[in-house]
Amino acid sequence: MSVVSGLLSNALVSGAVLALAGLGELLAERVGVLNLGVEGLMALGAMSAVAAVSGTHDPAVGVLAALATGAAAGSLFAFATVVARASQVLCGMALTMGGMGLAATLGRPFAGQPSAATFPVLPIPLLDRLPVLGDALFRQSLPVYVAFLILPLFLHWLLFRTRHGLALRAIGENPAACDAVGMKVLPLRFAYVVLGAAISAGAGAYLTLGFVPSWSDGVTAGRGWIAVALVIFAGYRPWRIVAGALLFGFVGALGYLAQARDWGIPSAFLGMLPYLVTLLFMMLPALTGRGRVAAPAALGVAYYRDQR
Amino acid sequence: MRGFVVQRVPSVSGRVRNAAYAVSALVAVFVAGLLLAALGLHPLALGGSVLKQSLGSRFGVQDLLLLASPLVMCGLSVSLMLRVGLWNIGADGQFYVGAACAAGVALFGPHGSPLLVQITMGLAAMAGGALWIAVPALARLLLGTSEIIATLLLNFVARLGLDWLVTGPWRDPHGMAAAQTARIPDPLPKLPRDWHLGGLHWGLAVVLGLAALLAAAFRFTRWGFELRICGANRDTAAYAGMNVRRRLFQAMLLGGAIAGLGGMLELSGTVHRLQSGLSNGYGYVGIIVAVLAASSPLGCVFTGLLMALVLNAGLVLQTQGVPSSAALALTGLILLFAAIGERLAHYRIVPTRPVAGAGGVA
Repeated sequence: MSVVSGLLSNALVSGAVLALAGLGELLAERVGVLNLGVEGLMALGAMSAVAAVSGTHDPAVGVLAALATGAAAGSLFAFATVVARASQVLCGMALTMGGMGLAATLGRPFAGQPSAATFPVLPIPLLDRLPVLGDALFRQSLPVYVAFLILPLFLHWLLFRTRHGLALRAIGENPAACDAVGMKVLPLRFAYVVLGAAISAGAGAYLTLGFVPSWSDGVTAGRGWIAVALVIFAGYRPWRIVAGALLFGFVGALGYLAQARDWGIPSAFLGMLPYLVTLLFMMLPALTGRGRVAAPAALGVAYYRDQR
Repeated sequence: MRGFVVQRVPSVSGRVRNAAYAVSALVAVFVAGLLLAALGLHPLALGGSVLKQSLGSRFGVQDLLLLASPLVMCGLSVSLMLRVGLWNIGADGQFYVGAACAAGVALFGPHGSPLLVQITMGLAAMAGGALWIAVPALARLLLGTSEIIATLLLNFVARLGLDWLVTGPWRDPHGMAAAQTARIPDPLPKLPRDWHLGGLHWGLAVVLGLAALLAAAFRFTRWGFELRICGANRDTAAYAGMNVRRRLFQAMLLGGAIAGLGGMLELSGTVHRLQSGLSNGYGYVGIIVAVLAASSPLGCVFTGLLMALVLNAGLVLQTQGVPSSAALALTGLILLFAAIGERLAHYRIVPTRPVAGAGGVA
């Protein structure tokens, strides 16, 4: 593989984790729930995927285990924030701490070992023979195609081309009005927070069955938080989230390249790059004068019918 | 027959809220106990040994106080910013930067009188912590960037930077360990021996003094009053002629400085050298300390001790073969239950049938 091809391939692989996590977060935020627990969900998903494949050697089982774990943890979070209407910031922090702590505790038997199974490469016929791009873009595993093509396509269609999606976006903007016309605000919020949590946990499964691929304590390394930031500066749009994920993947891949080729930059500084670039990009929309990105108006606000 | 309805009240008194937090924390510990029982451990015996190790001996109490000090400092940092309605999730990073600045002064600065060195270290740490939060603070106030994520991202940067320092340029040239500096020449002195608190250092007094100072500032000074109003309602504060943006900026810088000072006290008083993993997630636990204390500075001292007890439980669990990260899971559980409990405290049960007349024909 040439340098360009290798860089692009690496960017796709590490970007896929962020894209999946970000798309999961997008669903929760579009219905008005800020889920700051992505990091914890990813850790739980990553750990349960590794645990599941250690017995079955089937990555599909690992993904299912991660999705189920994410949905379970997401239900707890949704119960706290949507039903009990507790502070979304606090519950998100709690989900991050609890998820990381639980994953580290239960995942200790598997820590540091290579995953028992990883995603097989799924080359796209004909396209994979393209020069330079073929190797990088069309010789990836299924989750990469899902993260960069299938899921954003589906979510864009769902959110912006269907009546149901219109309802979802409206609930994130003005739940009181939605309630007044008979939409089920709380059940829909609950359902999409859980669905988003499952997808974010699925990102963790790809992390430990595809990208790294092994489980260790702290393997998520702040990617969940980068995903949250990604959703904000992508303006809550699926395709932009995916593009941003690719960009961040590229920054990360550059770091690896610099390390592998020994450009003389200490690896600690290269490791800082993704976080600093994320911080910069969060400030960028306001800096370039495009104003603040329009967040869903009811994001982070609990809905009470009697407060209409 | 009397019916009942559940009513929601818009706001509750501080006493009710504190009670809700206490009950929630107890429920969280109870649930954790059930989980441990499901794992085949004996939660009551474990709880007993946690209490015995932490409170049963003078050593235990001293260790508890030493562990609580950084937690209280981070809690004070978070609570100061919570008072103005902002989240400081970056206390961990500020703690690290503060410790690194203090270590730089101690290792490479001039050797003066011990007191002067300590003061310089403290000032350097506070400057470092304040500087570390300055970018998120400016981004929040000028650009509207979420301070939650901005402060948090810098935690990772600080941690990586510290790892680089202690494995690279500042690494102990004579030591065996790979990731630490040499011992600092003049650590913070211990408390006087006749106080019978032999293992403790003066940092503890600084922590308590700072908590008292902040409490007094909030209660008795115009500055503290303005901070409280800015937190309660920014529009009201602006309408009353307060410079809201300046107050928020001051609160954020001071919050960063306090967390940085916490790093200096941990370095100079307890650990005596800069090493990676100096903060064992103290900044994150500080969030819980501040929330459970309802961002009261004096309350932070109490809840800091409580959370130190929880972290100690992690150490006890480790002796039972459960990884110490279980304590992190427990802190998450406590935070979740506290957040839910705070909401549930807003409900009350009232009888549906009004009591007729003064005679009460019920």
